[in-house]
Amino acid sequence: MALMRTLALVAAAIAGALAYPLAARASTTAVSDGTTAPDFVLKSTDGHNLRLSEYRGDVVVLAFWASWCGSCKAALSELNTIADTPGSGRPVVLGISLDGDAARASSIVQSLGLRYPTLLDTRQAIGRLYDVEKLPLTLLVDRDGIVRGTWASAPAPRAELNRVLEEIGQ
Amino acid sequence: MMRQHPESARRLRWLAWASMLLVAGGTLVAGRAGAEDPAPATRAVDQDVQDLKKQLLDLNKDLFKLEEEILYPTSTQVAVFLSLNVGTFFELDSVTLKLDDKEVANYLYTEREVQALHRGGVQKLYLGNLKAGRHELVAFFSGKGPHEIDYRRGATLSFDKTVGAKYVELRISDREASLQPEFVVRQWD
Repeated sequence: MALMRTLALVAAAIAGALAYPLAARASTTAVSDGTTAPDFVLKSTDGHNLRLSEYRGDVVVLAFWASWCGSCKAALSELNTIADTPGSGRPVVLGISLDGDAARASSIVQSLGLRYPTLLDTRQAIGRLYDVEKLPLTLLVDRDGIVRGTWASAPAPRAELNRVLEEIGQ
Repeated sequence: MMRQHPESARRLRWLAWASMLLVAGGTLVAGRAGAEDPAPATRAVDQDVQDLKKQLLDLNKDLFKLEEEILYPTSTQVAVFLSLNVGTFFELDSVTLKLDDKEVANYLYTEREVQALHRGGVQKLYLGNLKAGRHELVAFFSGKGPHEIDYRRGATLSFDKTVGAKYVELRISDREASLQPEFVVRQWD
């Protein structure tokens, strides 16, 4: 009985010590490697509503972009090669346009010939949720919905992207 | 009373974390204790882990119920549910909900969610608090109507919130006579 009480006290002490930084982290940390990618639902350029959590079980590449961002176009085109990877287990690529004008975003999608869904965040609500400060922003989300890689300001280097994909067994 | 809700929720969440870590800590200690004699000890530890998992799930369930009771007491609780009946004449895209002219929910439906509703699922669209008295609920339904035409309709319900919880159902069904969708807002007694 005394042993059980000691065990409970030790475990409670560990719990207290661990819970405080965890709680503090949850309230201050934005989306970064190791955190859960916040769920969202957005309308795509083809009119379908897509929800991130429905891709649990798949590796997802999220690419935030805007029409006024020059380097975004190279990043978006590069992601076509991932979307075209043969095999059923390839990563799912989702582009997220932060343009206020959906028609403008759609015309960029067409002109670049993007072969993956592009979601329209016309109110930038998801951009705020993900704390997007620099574009392009590419995030790699694993099968459990955890962010495993983040690249901002420039297209994600393909070698690095491949390395993280290999790490998570893709 | 309302100001205490976030604090209570924080405490509950902290309690959940602490409980989970407590269980994890206990499991670790138990695992170490059984390391000397692997075979029977492993089975015992495995049984302990299963029991602890079950206890943890029960605890989480209780905490969820408790959190809901604290955040949404029966005296002020109002819940809005959505269901589909057939839906041949309407393809649901989104629902916007306004309570007393204030937007409280805006939900975009994915294909999978619409399929689940078609299979008889009922979605809890909104859960909140309202004080007793007269209130107005307005729901705007957007989607594709007959012949793939963009379709947007509103439905309104004025109701009296009394002491008990108030449940409202938004139901989309087909009106065969006019080949049009029908949007009904009704209270559950």
